[in-house]
Amino acid sequence: MSLYLAGTFRTKEAAVQAIRELRASGYGPGDLTVFSDEPAEFPRGVLDRPSHMSLAVVLGAVVFFVLVVAFVYFTQYNYKLVTGGMPIFSFWPAGVVFFEMTMLGAILMAFGWFIWESGLLRRDKSVPVPAIEPELICLRVRCAAEQFETIAAALENAGARNVGKLA
Amino acid sequence: MAPAPIPYHQVRDDLWRPLKGASKRYTLTLALLSAVALWGLIAWGYQIRVGIGVAGIRRPVFWGFYLVDFVFWIGISHAGTLISAILRLTDADWRKPVTRAAEAITVFALMIGGLFPLIHLGRVWLFYWLFPYPNSRLLWPNFRSPLMWDVTAISTYLTGSVIFLYLPLIPDVAQLAEHARGWRLRLYKVLALGWTGSDREWHALERAMKLMAGIILAVAVSVHSVVAWDFAMAIAPMWHSTIFAPYFVVGAIFSGLAGLIVALTIVRKTMRLESYLTPHHFGNLAKLLLLMSLLWLYFTFAEHLTVWYGNEPKEMSVFGARVSGRFSPEFWAMVVVNFVVPFVLLGIRRLRSIRTAAIASIGVLAGMWLERYLIIVPTLSMPRLSAAWGRYSPSWVEISITLATFAAMAALYLVFAKIFPIVSVWEFEPHTQEEE
Repeated sequence: MSLYLAGTFRTKEAAVQAIRELRASGYGPGDLTVFSDEPAEFPRGVLDRPSHMSLAVVLGAVVFFVLVVAFVYFTQYNYKLVTGGMPIFSFWPAGVVFFEMTMLGAILMAFGWFIWESGLLRRDKSVPVPAIEPELICLRVRCAAEQFETIAAALENAGARNVGKLA
Repeated sequence: MAPAPIPYHQVRDDLWRPLKGASKRYTLTLALLSAVALWGLIAWGYQIRVGIGVAGIRRPVFWGFYLVDFVFWIGISHAGTLISAILRLTDADWRKPVTRAAEAITVFALMIGGLFPLIHLGRVWLFYWLFPYPNSRLLWPNFRSPLMWDVTAISTYLTGSVIFLYLPLIPDVAQLAEHARGWRLRLYKVLALGWTGSDREWHALERAMKLMAGIILAVAVSVHSVVAWDFAMAIAPMWHSTIFAPYFVVGAIFSGLAGLIVALTIVRKTMRLESYLTPHHFGNLAKLLLLMSLLWLYFTFAEHLTVWYGNEPKEMSVFGARVSGRFSPEFWAMVVVNFVVPFVLLGIRRLRSIRTAAIASIGVLAGMWLERYLIIVPTLSMPRLSAAWGRYSPSWVEISITLATFAAMAALYLVFAKIFPIVSVWEFEPHTQEEE
């Protein structure tokens, strides 16, 4: 059975040291979560969170572009204009509409992906969240119950305060 | 010597203080602004009931104050998103206390600017004809029409701007939710989306903001280019110009900056945020304003020089009316407030201060409104067929609606500043506060 424990750090360096030690003991980024009231940026390799947001945004833009071109094409042929065989769909004069809708796709995908990647709306409510004190960094660790003492000692060695089990 | 850093709890207290209660002066100001906005709504209601004839627009000037206001407010909307996006992308640290104030201006200015095509419609209840749906004759909107370009551009920009304002607001409302009660608690909890402050959330937020800044920059430039093309696509004297799009974009950033400086000056004074919105921030914004003033002058000069040198009779009629004819008082007033005043007040270091930046900005706002008037009305008054020339004078309905939009903008801003911190708390870094 796994449980959660947390420790509070005054400095980012101390938190980095604790994370490095835990990573060396086999804990992955999925077991470790840092909480802070402002973004805490760590050196590369400490607690990387790979992201596909840029790719998703490009994909959103491409999908909206294809959809809007298809839509405009469909609407212009939907009314049976007698044109003597001349084409009635023209790409460039509708270029602004295509551009804006492409951008709308990118915007909506950026927002949607942010919600997904941050895990905001799909957070497991049973996982405890520590209270964040201003200007402090809190590290939450998921570990097996029998590992509790070892992890708590590792956090304290790295300079953590108020180390304890999260209810 | 650098000032001592402000402790975090004090930053939070100072920036949250304006959210608590409402002073008598605040309530009175809001009531007055709401009354003016309501008067504008009544005037619009009167126009809807009686017909568009109650406005001063008639042949040959079918675009009057409403279109001037439309272009003006869309220009003001470039305050936030564009400025904030540029400063975010360039990692300009000094931007942090000013971005939210700027982004809020964008959203409200767009909401107001987006109303004008509806006000101008006359039969406003038929506005849904602009939506792409098949009517009984299977006729869809004409996507090649600049009117449809406006609809798509403004919808995209508004959607993007609201998200751009909302994303960095999430950590702040999450903190506010911990200390709020009643309706505020419910509102903040919904808006916070369950934010906990985890590194996963921060990473996603920072990535999203970077990407949004890039996207919104492209959209903002396109929106004002589209507004410019509403004019430039017509073969009308002094409209059919290849530089109209960049000219409008420059003008939009110029007026947006001026709007931002005015708003920040008021916010700083009324909410006692002197420690957060420092002369350093105003100095940087003033320098940007001066730069935009010079760019605006360059574009205005280039636009008028080519017309004058070309000496095409129809174009020269409008040129003459602007520069030395019946529109010349407005034209030269525009040049004075858009260039001479900012150049003197902001260009001379000794004169540059928060007060002079605010004075110059108020002048620029007036000047940019005049510029939009001078682009629209003289050209429409003097079409290519001289027998069709006419005059335009706005009616009380147009004047009321115009004034009401300014009041509505101020009222919306006041309400926003009462509900959300106008300076982003989590982005404000007391340890890196700049030296004044």
